[in-house]
Amino acid sequence: MSASDSALQAVKKSPGPWKIAGRKFVRNPYAMAGVFVLLFFVFVAIFAPILTPYDPAKIDLMNANLPAGSEGHLLGTDELGRDILTRLIYSTRVSLTVGFSVALASVLIGTVIGAISGYFGGWIDTILMRFVDVMYSLPSLFINILVLTLWGSSFGYMIMVLSFTSWMGVARLVRGNFLQLREMQYVEAAKAIGVSNVSIIFRHLLRNSIHPIIVYATLMVGSAILSESALSYLGLGIQAPQTSWGLMLSNAQEFMLIQPQLALYPGLCILVLVLAVNFIGDGLQNALNPKEKKKIPMRRLQQWRNEYLKSAN
Amino acid sequence: MTEYLIRRILQSVLVLFLISVLSFALMHAAPGGPTQIMLSPGLSQEALEIQKRNLGLDQPVHIQYIRWMGNILQGDLGTVFKTGIPVGDILWPTVGNTMILMGAAWLVTLIVALPWGIYNSTRVYSISDHAANFIAYLGFAMPTFWFGIILQKYLALKLKWFPLSDMWSFGKKGDIGDLVWHLVMPVTVLSLSFLASYVKYARASMLEVLHMDYIRTARAKGVKERVVVFRHALRNALIPVVTIIGLDFPLLVSGAALTEKVFNWPGMGRLFVDMALAREYSVLMAIVLVTAVFVVFGNLLADILYAIVDPRVQLSRKGGRA
Repeated sequence: MSASDSALQAVKKSPGPWKIAGRKFVRNPYAMAGVFVLLFFVFVAIFAPILTPYDPAKIDLMNANLPAGSEGHLLGTDELGRDILTRLIYSTRVSLTVGFSVALASVLIGTVIGAISGYFGGWIDTILMRFVDVMYSLPSLFINILVLTLWGSSFGYMIMVLSFTSWMGVARLVRGNFLQLREMQYVEAAKAIGVSNVSIIFRHLLRNSIHPIIVYATLMVGSAILSESALSYLGLGIQAPQTSWGLMLSNAQEFMLIQPQLALYPGLCILVLVLAVNFIGDGLQNALNPKEKKKIPMRRLQQWRNEYLKSAN
Repeated sequence: MTEYLIRRILQSVLVLFLISVLSFALMHAAPGGPTQIMLSPGLSQEALEIQKRNLGLDQPVHIQYIRWMGNILQGDLGTVFKTGIPVGDILWPTVGNTMILMGAAWLVTLIVALPWGIYNSTRVYSISDHAANFIAYLGFAMPTFWFGIILQKYLALKLKWFPLSDMWSFGKKGDIGDLVWHLVMPVTVLSLSFLASYVKYARASMLEVLHMDYIRTARAKGVKERVVVFRHALRNALIPVVTIIGLDFPLLVSGAALTEKVFNWPGMGRLFVDMALAREYSVLMAIVLVTAVFVVFGNLLADILYAIVDPRVQLSRKGGRA
C-alpha cells in the first residue's frame, strides 16, 4: 500500500511542462547570458536619466568632437558636442520599444490570421494564404521605406509598418499547427459538447501551439531592432532631435574622417543586444521543444533568413 | 506535371495582380492622396484642375488603376516627376549594376559555402563546424550596414587596401580589374549574410543523406570514403541545396539596398532610397513592381526546378510558394 501511495505522491509532485522547460532554460549558459544582457539593457533604458547627467539632444558646440576619455565625457562627444555615452544610453529605449512592440503586434496579427486560416480552412484559408503570399513577395524594406515617405517618418508609423510587414511567418506557423491540431479528438469532443469556435481556437488550439509562437516572437524582437536601425540609418526612422543607434551610425559615416571611433559603439550595442535576444530565443526553443537537438535547427535558420534577408539587408 | 505547372503559373499571375492593386492602393491611401503628391504646389485652383485632368487624376480610382496597369504592361513605367525622364531609362541600368554586385556575392558564397558545408558534414562538431555556427550567430545579429562601415573604416581609410565606395574609379569606367577592386568590400559584407546559412544547408543535407541505407551499403562494399562522399552522397544532397539557391534568386535584384547605400553602389536599392528621399513616387512604384515580378517568377522557377530535379516531390500538393 505504502509503495503505491508514494508512487501516487510522486505523480502528484511531478513538475509541469512549464517548470521542466524553465529548469532546462536556466541550465543553458548561452540563454542565461542572453537574459542578463537583456536585463542590463532594460535597466539602462529605464534609468537613463539617472545614469547620465546630460541631455542626449543638447547641442554644445564648445565641446564638439572631444576624444574618448575626456573629462566628464567617457566616450567623448560628437560633431555637435552631444555626449556619445548619453546618446547610446537613450537609444536603448528606442531599440527596446521598437523590438518588443513590433514583435508583439506582428505576433498578434499573425496569430489571428493564421488561426482563422488553419481552423476554418476552405476558401477562407485560400484567400488568407494568397494574401500571405502577396505580402511575402513584396520586398519589406522597400515597402517600409515607401510607407514612411508617403506618411512621414514618425515613431508610431514605423512600429505600424514594421509590424504590418513581418507577421506572415507567424501566420504560416500558426496555420500549420492548427491544420494538425484541429484533427485531434479533443477538438471533436469539444465540438460535440457545443463549445463555440472562438473558445476552441483560443482555449484549446492556441494553448497547444503557444511554444513555437513564443520562440518565433523572441526572434522577431531581434529582427525588428535590426530593421529599426536600418530605417534610421537611411534617415527614414527616428528623426534628428531624438536619438537611435541607427541614426548615430548614419552620423558616424558622415564624419568618419574626423571621428572614426564613432561608428564602433552603436553597432556593437545593436550586435550585443540582438545576439542576446537570439540566444534567449534559442534557449527557449531547446527548452520548449525537447525533440529538436540540433545546434541551430533548420526551420529556425529558415525563419532567421526570411526575417533577416528581407528586412536587414 | 502540366496541371501543376498551369496552376502554379495562374497562382503567380494572381499574386502579381494583387501586388499591383496593393501598391496602387498604398499610393492612394496616403494622406492627401496622389493629388497632393503629384501636383506642383502653389498652383491656382484653375491650374490645379487642368493639371489634374492632364495627369488623369480626375477619373475614378479603378479607371486610373486600369490606365496605369495598361501603361506598365506596355513597358511604360511612367516618368520621373522632376526631370520628365522616362523611369525605365534610370531604372534598368541600376538593375544591371545590382545584378553584378549580387551575382558576385552569390558566386563567392557558393564557392566557399558548399565545400565548407560538405567538409563539416564529415567532421561534425569539429572546430570548423563550431566556426560555422559562430559565423551564423554573428551574421544574423549584426546590422549589415554597420559591418560595411567598419570595413570602410579599417580596410579603406586606415589600410587603404580597397576603394572606399562607388563602382568605378574616376575615369576608369569599363575596366574589369577596377570593378573587381571595388567589388571586394561590398561582396564581403553581402556574403556574410548568405554564407552561414548555405554552409548549414549543405551540411544538414549531406548529413541526412550520409545516414541513408545505400551509403552504408556502399561503405560495406568497401568503397573508398572519398568516393562515398563525393559520388554517392553529394549528388542526392545537392538537390535541396539547389532549390534553396533558386529561391534566393530574387534577392539578386532586391536584396542589397543597404549595402548599396553604404558603398554608394549605383544599384536599384540605392536608387530606391534616393528616390524615396526625393519623393519620386513613380520610380518607387516601378521598383516595387519590378522586384515583385522577380520574386514571384524566381519562386515559380525554383518550384518547377525542384519538381524536375526531385521526382519524389508531390506535384499535387496544395498551396505552393508564390
